[in-house]
Amino acid sequence: MLNIRIILNAIGLLLLVEGFFLLLSAMVSLYYGDPGMHALMITSSICVVTGFLLYFFNRGAPRQMGKREGYIIVSTVWIVFSIFGMLPFLISGVIPEVTNAFFETISGFTTTGASILNDVESLPHGLLFWRNLTQWLGGMGIIVLSLAVLPFLGIGGMQLFVAEVPGITPDKIHPRVRSTAKQLWGIYMLFTVLEGLLLYINGMDGFDAINHSFTTMATGGYSTKQASIAAFSPTIQYIIIIFMILAGTNFAVSYLALSGRFRSFLKNEEFRFYLGFVALFTILITTGFVIKNYYPLEEAFRTSAFQVISLMTSTGYVTDNYMAWGAALSTLAFVLMFFGGSTGSTGGGIKIARIVLLMKNSYLEFKRLLHSNAVIPVRLNKRAVQPFIINKVLAFMGFYLLIFGIGTTVMSAMNLDLDSAMGATIASLGNIGPGIGSVGPTSNFAAIPDFGKWFLSFLMLVGRLELFTVLILFSPAFWANR
Amino acid sequence: MKITIAGAGEIGTYLARMLSNGNHDITVIDTDEDKLNLIDDQFDLLTIHGSATSFGILEKALVKRADLFIALMEEEAINITSAALSKRLGAKKTIARINNKEFLIKGNRQHIENLGIDSLIYPEILASREISLLLRQSGTTKAYNFCRGQLSLFAIRLEENAPIINKTLREAGEKSDKYYRAIAITRNGKTIIPYGSDRLQKGDIVYMVTNQEGINNLMKHTGKENFTIRNLMIMGGSRIGQETAKNFQNHANVKLFEVDKQKSFRIADNLNNSLVLNADGKDIEFLKSEGLQRTDAFIAVTGNTDTNILSCLLAKRLGVKRTIAEIENMDYIDLAENMGVDTIINKKRIAASHIFAFTVGPQVAAMQYLTGTDAEVLEFDVSKDTKVAKKQLKDMNFPQGSIVGGIVRGREALIATGDTTIKEGDRVLVFTLPQAVDKVIKLFS
Repeated sequence: MLNIRIILNAIGLLLLVEGFFLLLSAMVSLYYGDPGMHALMITSSICVVTGFLLYFFNRGAPRQMGKREGYIIVSTVWIVFSIFGMLPFLISGVIPEVTNAFFETISGFTTTGASILNDVESLPHGLLFWRNLTQWLGGMGIIVLSLAVLPFLGIGGMQLFVAEVPGITPDKIHPRVRSTAKQLWGIYMLFTVLEGLLLYINGMDGFDAINHSFTTMATGGYSTKQASIAAFSPTIQYIIIIFMILAGTNFAVSYLALSGRFRSFLKNEEFRFYLGFVALFTILITTGFVIKNYYPLEEAFRTSAFQVISLMTSTGYVTDNYMAWGAALSTLAFVLMFFGGSTGSTGGGIKIARIVLLMKNSYLEFKRLLHSNAVIPVRLNKRAVQPFIINKVLAFMGFYLLIFGIGTTVMSAMNLDLDSAMGATIASLGNIGPGIGSVGPTSNFAAIPDFGKWFLSFLMLVGRLELFTVLILFSPAFWANR
Repeated sequence: MKITIAGAGEIGTYLARMLSNGNHDITVIDTDEDKLNLIDDQFDLLTIHGSATSFGILEKALVKRADLFIALMEEEAINITSAALSKRLGAKKTIARINNKEFLIKGNRQHIENLGIDSLIYPEILASREISLLLRQSGTTKAYNFCRGQLSLFAIRLEENAPIINKTLREAGEKSDKYYRAIAITRNGKTIIPYGSDRLQKGDIVYMVTNQEGINNLMKHTGKENFTIRNLMIMGGSRIGQETAKNFQNHANVKLFEVDKQKSFRIADNLNNSLVLNADGKDIEFLKSEGLQRTDAFIAVTGNTDTNILSCLLAKRLGVKRTIAEIENMDYIDLAENMGVDTIINKKRIAASHIFAFTVGPQVAAMQYLTGTDAEVLEFDVSKDTKVAKKQLKDMNFPQGSIVGGIVRGREALIATGDTTIKEGDRVLVFTLPQAVDKVIKLFS
């Protein structure tokens, strides 16, 4: 039997956390004296009251949490957060339709950054702040945050952690889940503050600096400007390049590096491949620009580096319309959308480690064909990877491509052309934001029919929780009597 | 010397036998009474039944008066504990057997010393080192370096094509006294220290001392040539097999066969540059399909002696130039060598002789045991008032069963002949059978 009361109890607790952050946004609103404050205050109150009631009436729930409860809590909490999170947009009337408001909010929490807003800059400060804050909260993960700040979420912490941060193998940097969560959030916070300061020093105004540091570190991609990062100076663009790279790096590795073991950066094979891929694509696209005389060298390098990192880490910031680069270079941009960040980073997508493992595994198949009984393991970080992990990765890839195929078909049925259908699907599933075609960098998702928006919202969630946490809820095995 | 051996396993028993021939008081501790009874019947020593980590037993074994305490049980943790306890109880020197290379890393070594353990012994590493040495001198059966590499000893199996066959040592040595000297011959499983009138026969394994200039001559006269090992097959993923693979995987093409599936994966994890195959090494067709004929050396180190011998013989028949088998059962060693396995490795003997070096006095500068023979090689630094200085070798009454191989004088490495005179400050290389060890040591002190 599912322990439904513990699920409700936990969700109640988590809503209190959301209530707090809504209140924070209301404070920002108050500071700027903008019209969004009422909506934020009301939502905050609803959140706190609902959360408290859910918590209070289920406080006597049996203190047991299994894997099933873990998966259900994690999957539903992202939906519940999005439902409450869209209320400020609805109540204030900034986004009047439920579909659009939900799409915009879940796109925020899942750090996708796909938007239906045609004029971001017209939003009141408080609501803009909330919109970017959703990305920052979703970046490191709602559960990871709550584990770090809520002492009473102790039971089943590990189940929740694993369901939200599946990765390939759990990367614990501390024997206790709560300490791990605290340390991860510590690093996340540190990088965010650092980036905010650097942006501010280099000429961004304070509000923009805070908001952009939120969405960079979350690899989210929401901006306060309609023109995204193209609205800012080259220096700002370089700073954001650096922090996007950090955001796409495994935070556990960053933690080790910052705690004095700097070589762990270099020793980490995924990190080396990550930088390698970034370098490869940047060089390819820069060369393309130079050959075509598209941009002078510095601008060619900056634009290609920015766009490569933004798309690969699934941030989705834009400094240039990559759809206008010509067929070959635009295709490279599309290919980049499949990569994703490192495992344990805030980046979405397939993730570098999975790609590396699969490439190696496929390559080793040649050797395996020649030596029938040979034991030829795939190596990562010099250690042999157990075959069951390769299996998991293969299953992940299978599902990923299947969902991409189904998604493209569904979106095509919504009257999108093939480019746009593929673009919308991968942009949502990979948590990137802008896609290609009619949902490319210069346009947005407003024109997609309602059903399409709900479907893409689902893909975002599936992608953010690395497929299995959500998909398992649809498997007969999950609901079978234990 | 008072010596306590904890653990009457294979190595412990062999060591006890080796040491009981000398002038030592030996006590053996073990928890297995049957093993102790067996030793008690055969050798002149004391056995104590009990745990080597028990204070009571250690006191009963009079560890406080022991000059040397050697822990040779299977479990390294027990060895370390009992050696550390013995040191605290008053043993002068302690040795513990280990199964993990980590202990040998420089930084970690200090921690072990702080526990009161003077030396560590890792038989599998010693065995794999020996294999590596053998493979580097691929033309010879065995090779050793002495006196900082200035003198070398080669064991060479004489085949029909050797020019010196059927000659007496005196005839063979006419042209070559300055370059090499035969110091031991293994024939039909017996080691003899030869005289000038002894005749060399086909199938003999001759031990030749030579210096750097003499190696080429020696190879020519014995009809051997060195070849580079490019393809290496190792049967059995034992620690010896893994260590050997590690030593060679970056220079040669190494294939390692292991029957156990789980184990093969762990081995593949450990060896990043070798090909690990999950297969039974007895499967001839499979070995052939993996290129057994083309391999330069075949090493059989499964835990099973029979398998090791048989697969080496098979490899030999298919034309593999070099075969090495690990043999644990002493009785099989001669048999295997006579049947044509090029070299036999025996973990017990290697380990025991390594430990044996601790039991000789400070007069001996270095000591090494020759696998496959009974002979020991000792190095002495000659001081002013020893009996041997200032006499020609032929005028000296060297003990029966021992022979001087070479002398290092400053930078010069001389091969000994009857006319050679030993001088003060020389380092002398002496080969001796066990029964003469004590006499030789006396001669040099």
